[in-house]
Amino acid sequence: MKKRKPVRLGRTADTAVTYALLLLVAFVFFFPCLWLILASFSSSGSIYSFRGFFPSGYSTESFKKLFFDTAMYDYPKWFGNSLFIATMSCIFGTLLTILTAYCMSRFRFRSRKALMKTTLVLGMFPSFMGMTAVYLLMTQFNFINNHWGLILIYTAGAPLGYMVQKGFFDSIPGSIDEAARLDGATNFQVFCKIHMPLSMPMIVYTALTSFTWPWSDYILPKLLLKTKDKWTVAVGLMSLGETEFSRFAAGSIFIAVPIVILYLCLAKHLISGNVAGAVKE
Amino acid sequence: MRELIKRADGRVTASMLVMGLGQLLYRQWAKGIMYLAVQAGYIIYLVTVGARDLFGFFTLGSVESNPWYGIEGDNSVIMLIMGVLAIIVTVLYILVYISNIKDVYATQKRVEAGGRPKLFREELAELLDAKFYRTVLFVPILGVCVFNILPVVFMILVAFTNYGGDIVPPALVDWVGFENFKKILALGEFAPTFFKILGWNFLWAILSTAINYFGGLSLALLLNKKCVRGKVFWRAFPILAYAIPGFITLLGFKFMFSYGGPINHYITEAGRQAVGFLDLDAKWSARVIGLLVNAWISIPSSMLLATGILSNAEQSQYEAARLDGAGAFQQFRHLTLPFVVFSTTPVLISQFIGNFNNFGIFYFLRGGLYIDGYFLASDTDLLINWLYNLSIDNNYYAIGAAISLIIFIITSVISLAVYVSSPAYRQEETYK
Amino acid sequence: MTRNITALVAHALIIAVLLTALGVGSLARDDAQGQTKFTGELERNVTLRILENDTAKEKGYFKELLDAFNAAYAEYGIVAVDANMDQYTDLEQDGPYGYGPDVLYQANDALMKYTDGKHIQPLPVEKLECYEQISQQAWDAYTVEYDGEEYVFGVPVNIQGPLLYYRKDLLPEGWQENWDREGDGVPDMVEYWTELYAYSRLLREESGGAKLGYMKSLFDPYFSSGFLFSYGGYVFGEGGTDTGDIGFSAGEARKGARVLRQLASAMNQDCIDDTVTVNAYSMLANGTYFATMTTPDVYTLFIDELAKEYMRTDGLDEADAYARAEENLVAADIPKLPASGDLEDRTGETVESVMMGGINGYAISAYTRAPNAALAFVDFATGYEMISRRNELLGIAPAREDVAEKVGGLSETINADLDAGRIAVMPSTRAVAQIWTPTQTFFSDLAKDPFRLPEEQKYLSLDELQRGLENVDAQIYSAIHTLN
Repeated sequence: MKKRKPVRLGRTADTAVTYALLLLVAFVFFFPCLWLILASFSSSGSIYSFRGFFPSGYSTESFKKLFFDTAMYDYPKWFGNSLFIATMSCIFGTLLTILTAYCMSRFRFRSRKALMKTTLVLGMFPSFMGMTAVYLLMTQFNFINNHWGLILIYTAGAPLGYMVQKGFFDSIPGSIDEAARLDGATNFQVFCKIHMPLSMPMIVYTALTSFTWPWSDYILPKLLLKTKDKWTVAVGLMSLGETEFSRFAAGSIFIAVPIVILYLCLAKHLISGNVAGAVKE
Repeated sequence: MRELIKRADGRVTASMLVMGLGQLLYRQWAKGIMYLAVQAGYIIYLVTVGARDLFGFFTLGSVESNPWYGIEGDNSVIMLIMGVLAIIVTVLYILVYISNIKDVYATQKRVEAGGRPKLFREELAELLDAKFYRTVLFVPILGVCVFNILPVVFMILVAFTNYGGDIVPPALVDWVGFENFKKILALGEFAPTFFKILGWNFLWAILSTAINYFGGLSLALLLNKKCVRGKVFWRAFPILAYAIPGFITLLGFKFMFSYGGPINHYITEAGRQAVGFLDLDAKWSARVIGLLVNAWISIPSSMLLATGILSNAEQSQYEAARLDGAGAFQQFRHLTLPFVVFSTTPVLISQFIGNFNNFGIFYFLRGGLYIDGYFLASDTDLLINWLYNLSIDNNYYAIGAAISLIIFIITSVISLAVYVSSPAYRQEETYK
Repeated sequence: MTRNITALVAHALIIAVLLTALGVGSLARDDAQGQTKFTGELERNVTLRILENDTAKEKGYFKELLDAFNAAYAEYGIVAVDANMDQYTDLEQDGPYGYGPDVLYQANDALMKYTDGKHIQPLPVEKLECYEQISQQAWDAYTVEYDGEEYVFGVPVNIQGPLLYYRKDLLPEGWQENWDREGDGVPDMVEYWTELYAYSRLLREESGGAKLGYMKSLFDPYFSSGFLFSYGGYVFGEGGTDTGDIGFSAGEARKGARVLRQLASAMNQDCIDDTVTVNAYSMLANGTYFATMTTPDVYTLFIDELAKEYMRTDGLDEADAYARAEENLVAADIPKLPASGDLEDRTGETVESVMMGGINGYAISAYTRAPNAALAFVDFATGYEMISRRNELLGIAPAREDVAEKVGGLSETINADLDAGRIAVMPSTRAVAQIWTPTQTFFSDLAKDPFRLPEEQKYLSLDELQRGLENVDAQIYSAIHTLN
């Protein structure tokens, strides 16, 4: 009994330090968000009627304005547009990225290494230099001012980020595949029945990132969407006048909502997927 | 190839003449019709726009349009990009053409060996198994070709034209060869600024990648500890930061550090002089703020990533290690770190590239400054910001393209070298 | 073997021949003959997409304009609608591909950068009703010479020039005795920069920095370069057309730079970045600032903030608060500068301020399918009635002199300023885009200077200021010319 005491003490200390660190992290990440939340409840539109980090008066006016005063700034409409674009891009983008990564990890074919190097190099290109080209292409395909044009670009660009997922698949032991193939499964079945469930955390990660990118992108929608009824939230928010700060803050808060909800829905999958268990079976 | 030409029989010849014909002669109807459709499609493409586009690539237009009088002329830039597209389409056509010949020749060999032509059903099944990767990779590669490679090729080509300044459509653009590169080399102010910015750019990319990577990893490890209860809750805070779009965060931080912002409010309230965290004298404080803000934006996503990857680490190894009496640190040093480094080297490289080309951070935090000693740039600008000043802001597309080509060659050689020598590339099979 | 090679070659040949024949065919084109677009005959049953600015929409003016126009032209089936785009949308990017608006309302420098690319249509302005009523200076901003012929590309609507906004109720008690040398009923501190400077310092000293006099984000070239122009500086030579001659350091512009530095020393550090630009609305409302400089189009924003403040602190109802705000917020002409360029010199000669301004107007996209209907719209929108209404609702200074004369006040002053050359209209050339960053950098350097430690200050003498300005000119020159 005597011997175990220091261990327990050490463990308590460790737990205490851990929680202290967690609190610190939570504060660092939460504080700027809190500031934004407070700002959105500010009674004055301007950010400069603040005393330091805190507004001088509070009201829910800006939220009411955000959702009901839509003559100039149609936030609900923009929100819907963003949601549509991001959801579609997320579904297609995740599918393509995961499949690409899977193939690059599991198959050995002739042009594989060349493809890997090319994709790496492609990322080095300054993206805005290509924007002109993308814009011109979209005018030729008649995809300007059209949400599907954006979805097409986001989806097409998503597989370029396959490296992360490939790294993940690389770390799944090949013995699992072998076993399944001995049972007569095709590659397609191996992917659907074995890798998909195992890579849930990676799929969740991919889904989150491929949702977030179109959701918070500003440059492409600004370039391609011309009329205000087609705009996304990001473009719309940036067009707000300079005295509309609290409306801007309120809009920014609501931008975060879908991503947080998405995270909460997917959170439990983020840490499941137990390879060790799969091997034992 | 030579063997193919020597030994191929009449049906192969038929396919050489018209795609899909040989397959049809073998009664492979579905496949034959598909090849035939590609053949017809390409010819229709040529007749309608393809031939015009291909020629346009070389001429870049001859009739200047004049909207004042409703004269529709040539748009050189469109001609350039559609020309590149026509070349890509033609290359794809040639690839399909070759596969068409190989396919029918393979059938010939099968029949010669006493087999029968494959049924369409069998080929479909093959696409889901042995050739699964082809089925899957077709769409992504097509997408990447059109929306990523095409723009890059376009931009490289622009470096050899006089596009920019006053020469933008409706004016006609022309090929100028290496003129732009000569201009850049002749410019005395160019080189010193370039190397100053390049140095800072590398420093920035290395520091920010390291901070974000280890920050995210430590956070993930912290949250993975057994003693932490309510992981979903604790992890939600960084997620919240992640959920707010980057440009909003940047505008928020810019305001926070501005003269009228809350931080200076407390400084002046304490009776001190306001500090110009981001103003024109603030070289290093602006750089440090840039690093921190970037960390705030990027750590959550690298935490998510590390969490996903850690979930894949084999617990049995840890158990074994614990039984051997390894402490927490030793476990981290010998099990977790090698594992995570292995599966994230590609991520590290793509993060490095992302940070190297991080346009937004200083554009939003500290845009609109030209500092003495720099040619149209400020001391926090990265190469990409400088490029933006030169090309988009100042409208010199061709020069901008030439510079980015130079930058691109330097950076891609370096990162390619790192990647090729990394364990993730050389020893892909370690954990299999 | 021969058979196979023949087949391969034959295939390649067919494709190649097809390609060459069609490709060469596409090169031969007949030169299309152009014709003038303004035939005077209205296109029927067309929809015109109009780009207006956000304030006009917010205040309901745009809707009134559309309704009135649509009612008047209903018999032709012409319908004008809101283009519903970003007010700064770039016609150069959208127009050639058919996405731009038909009629645009933007500032003259924004509109005139479209002319080289022929994106906007030269207009037969002498046919318009407003032609006689608009001064030559305003038309000049929209006139460009091509091949020896002059073309007019836009119709001026309102003049944007800076004004001094101040709070009448914050004037010191008994200003009539102490701050009105001439006894003309106008406080000296809004008539002379020297007095405004003195009053600002006094306010700051008395309140320990809690209250300030004149405040402005000095880095903003739109407002700060006027001080250089007042002493002989200019943007480009030859009336704004010679981009090889950059004149921010010309004449005695250094004196203007010294004035700016002195003004900064009477403010606080908020003048270095864009803090004041954004907070002026609420700071003027809560009485922290006494005065600021800005354009007429934001007048209503100041009134809104001030009225809100009155409602909050004094518990007035909305109507009273607005009445009081309109009574107390005064927009005045820019004060006079000391000829010596020294704000401490309160008794010397004075010179008029020259400020940078712009002229907003309508232009017609060269890609519109209904140029005549679009011209009819412009004619309608620049008519006496619509411009008067625009002035009423938006508080802009109309370019039509008959309206300006009728409403008097500020509108008349600004028109007079333009005629007398006290508003330096932004040059109508694309190269204007290059002046912002260099000047912005210099002005924020200058604004920061008084707040530096004494041994680190850079701009103490006129020579040092001159060198700084010459550096600005050099930077702009290289931005425009080195890479061309």
